[in-house]
Amino acid sequence: MFEKVEWAEGIDVYIRPTDQFKTVTMMMQWETPYEVERAAHRAVLSNVLQDSTKKYPTYRAYKQQLDALYGSTLFTDVTKRKEMHRFVLMSETVHEQLIGENGHLEAWLDFIRETVVAPNVTDGAFDADTVRRERRSVIERLDAVYDDKRRFARRRLLELMRPGEAVSQSTYGTKEALERVTPESLYTEFQRMIEEDHLSIYIVGDVDVASIETMVREALPFERREARAERPVSLRRGDVQEVVEYQQMNQGQLHIGYYAPITRDDERFPAAQVANGLLGGFAHSKLFMNVREKESMAYSISSQYLSQYGLLLIGAGIDAELSDKAIRLITEQVEAIQRGDIHAREMKQTKALLANGIRSALDTPRGQMMVYDQFKEQFPNFSADALIERWDAVTKEEVVDVANEWTREVIYLLRGGEKQ
Amino acid sequence: MKKITLEAVGETVYYETMPNGLTVYILPKEGYSKTYASYTTDYGSIDRTFIPIGADEKIVVPDGIAHFLEHKMFEKEEGDIFQTFSEQGASANAFTSFTRTAYLFSATREVEKNLETLLNFVQEPYFTEETVEKEKGIIAQEILMYDDDPDWRLYFGAIENMYERHPVRIDIAGTVDSIQDITAEHLYTCYETFYHPSNMMLLVVGNIDPEETMALVRDNQRARQMEPAHEVERFLEEEPCVVATKEQVIQMDVFKPKVNIAFKMPAGRKRGRDYLKQELATSLGLDLLFGTTTAFYDEAYDEGLIDESFNYSYTNEATFAFASISSDTFEPKKLYARVRQQLNDQMDTLDENDFKLLIRRKIGQFIRALNSPEFIANQFTHYAMNGVDLFEHIDVYESLTLDDVKEAVRPMVNEEAQTVMIIEPLANEGEPE
Repeated sequence: MFEKVEWAEGIDVYIRPTDQFKTVTMMMQWETPYEVERAAHRAVLSNVLQDSTKKYPTYRAYKQQLDALYGSTLFTDVTKRKEMHRFVLMSETVHEQLIGENGHLEAWLDFIRETVVAPNVTDGAFDADTVRRERRSVIERLDAVYDDKRRFARRRLLELMRPGEAVSQSTYGTKEALERVTPESLYTEFQRMIEEDHLSIYIVGDVDVASIETMVREALPFERREARAERPVSLRRGDVQEVVEYQQMNQGQLHIGYYAPITRDDERFPAAQVANGLLGGFAHSKLFMNVREKESMAYSISSQYLSQYGLLLIGAGIDAELSDKAIRLITEQVEAIQRGDIHAREMKQTKALLANGIRSALDTPRGQMMVYDQFKEQFPNFSADALIERWDAVTKEEVVDVANEWTREVIYLLRGGEKQ
Repeated sequence: MKKITLEAVGETVYYETMPNGLTVYILPKEGYSKTYASYTTDYGSIDRTFIPIGADEKIVVPDGIAHFLEHKMFEKEEGDIFQTFSEQGASANAFTSFTRTAYLFSATREVEKNLETLLNFVQEPYFTEETVEKEKGIIAQEILMYDDDPDWRLYFGAIENMYERHPVRIDIAGTVDSIQDITAEHLYTCYETFYHPSNMMLLVVGNIDPEETMALVRDNQRARQMEPAHEVERFLEEEPCVVATKEQVIQMDVFKPKVNIAFKMPAGRKRGRDYLKQELATSLGLDLLFGTTTAFYDEAYDEGLIDESFNYSYTNEATFAFASISSDTFEPKKLYARVRQQLNDQMDTLDENDFKLLIRRKIGQFIRALNSPEFIANQFTHYAMNGVDLFEHIDVYESLTLDDVKEAVRPMVNEEAQTVMIIEPLANEGEPE
């Protein structure tokens, strides 16, 4: 799907020439083991890098240059994968043929270069006002989770299940760590990222591989670095708990977490995906059909399989007064799958929608990069069909087998009213 | 079958109006796996007072009925239509807005079959008292979910402040109380009145052959000969141009206060290219006054008066129009004052070069958006229902002047058309503020 270009040790470049889109898209991804201080610094950095550069020293000047490049976009953000913390730059521009301007691609790449190679730094420190402002923004973003009750409840569930582990820690670090970010420490972290992190670059669009490679090499003179080994996730069982917390709210947010110790590298992984789909991934799934449609207990109800961390999460918005009934009904759906109470039609539907999901994901430049990034190690010649074949081969018995590995650990209810 | 081509970006849309009045647009996307289809009726939450088909007297239906009807369309005598879509590998959904109800699916296989399923399920209502009763619990949970969503409450609070009589002030899903009054009979009345093919539009975008797809729709519609097209008579009370309430403050369990500053704008009842001009000029005006490249944004963000949640938008429908500016902020009143100051001071000094750069951004954004079949289908429908085609964007952007923009946003200066909606965190007794 992507053509891998030999670049340098610790730097991987993947290019996909295609005329499917009207754009050229580039993703850069720096990766380092998750640590709170580092996460906090990089969260602030992701705001600071897309604010200004040496050449465009104000946000206004920086944004106007993007406008001049025909509304190109450039976003930086931080994410997590397994125990790793990732700094991601995503930039997109209209293909130059559509705007009739030669040299547009070079100008766009030059802007990306400005952003990551020539930031707004003086004497070993980022611009102090920018850092102050963006540090505040990231702290407030952490605080704002409280305002979204569903997200808040999900966050609490993960904290209860895996306290102190990467899965339950914020990609932005902690408030305390964020407050320690200074213009100098931020620059130190920036240099470490640029010089030492494993870097992946993806490009999708109507480009010629050889010439875009030359252009990117010229724009981004990164040198080899030690290819760091990925830190493996260690799976473990957690404590069994039932926790109720109160806020002033109308609905109850019921979130239930299961230990589901089958990760991406496990050969039973496709069966685990099918099992999650049967339970709560889709509108035909057991949770939706039985808890919502049959019992009218919820509007929103679904399950999510965090395969990187071996967890299965179920979330539902319910009437808190009926939480015992909701827990019973949800548990019954899990048990039905564990017992093998699975109709051939449900298997067919789930496999069809998994297939639809992966094919659809590949209809966007970003989707192509993200999906390939997830699967490239397992499938160097990745195609949607290869994944679909694996799902198609999954039997009911294999689904029952993986579902029996699920163990309920935490039932968390966030609700209105007062503690009795 | 006719076609419109936008050569500059290499897109062609094919269209045809069926004998029963249904308008169909088809846009093939080469290289895509996915096909996205939407089947939309010109009927939304504001359509609550009307003369039902075949009747003489106007009626008022319970609040939230268009949305309730959307939910119930998915249930058939033989079961849930989601089951059928899933079996055919399609992911289906629907939504109801103030003015429209849309049913949609996206699929990468069995597109013809899924298209038939979409057409047929929307064309075959099946409502019983029992199934209607059962849905009330689900929708009540949906309403309560929105009641806990501060952004939704903020948005709706601002709309309530603006409108005294126009039904846009009523929540799209209604209230837990109002939906209790809904009966199967109501649903049939609304369905028969508003789901006439002449009031509907089908959009198909993706990996399809336009000729074959149109033929499929023709065959499907041939079997659906209807009473001739009629214009539904809908009633609205006269709405003043000034806002109903200048300010409303509510408390919720949130961390940071939130404000929405809303501007009741003249409802243009414009159609066609004039509609598009009005919409784009106003949006451009908001960008020039409050966007990320303005001194206003820079200063307010630097001071912490606004944060990353800062947002503004313009909504333009035939019978109502409003602009709104919102942000989480510890100083809602100060932000309102700053917004007013910006409007009063800067309106006449908007810069021609900034405007040119902005137009360039907008054209680029528009072309990039054409990567997405969902964008094309949803936006094409939105504009077509307002009598203009999506592809005219580039042309209109190039034709607009800075004076057009100033004229479009000038009504925002009128203080009587401004209102403020604030959500405050709960006041904790005994704890210092």
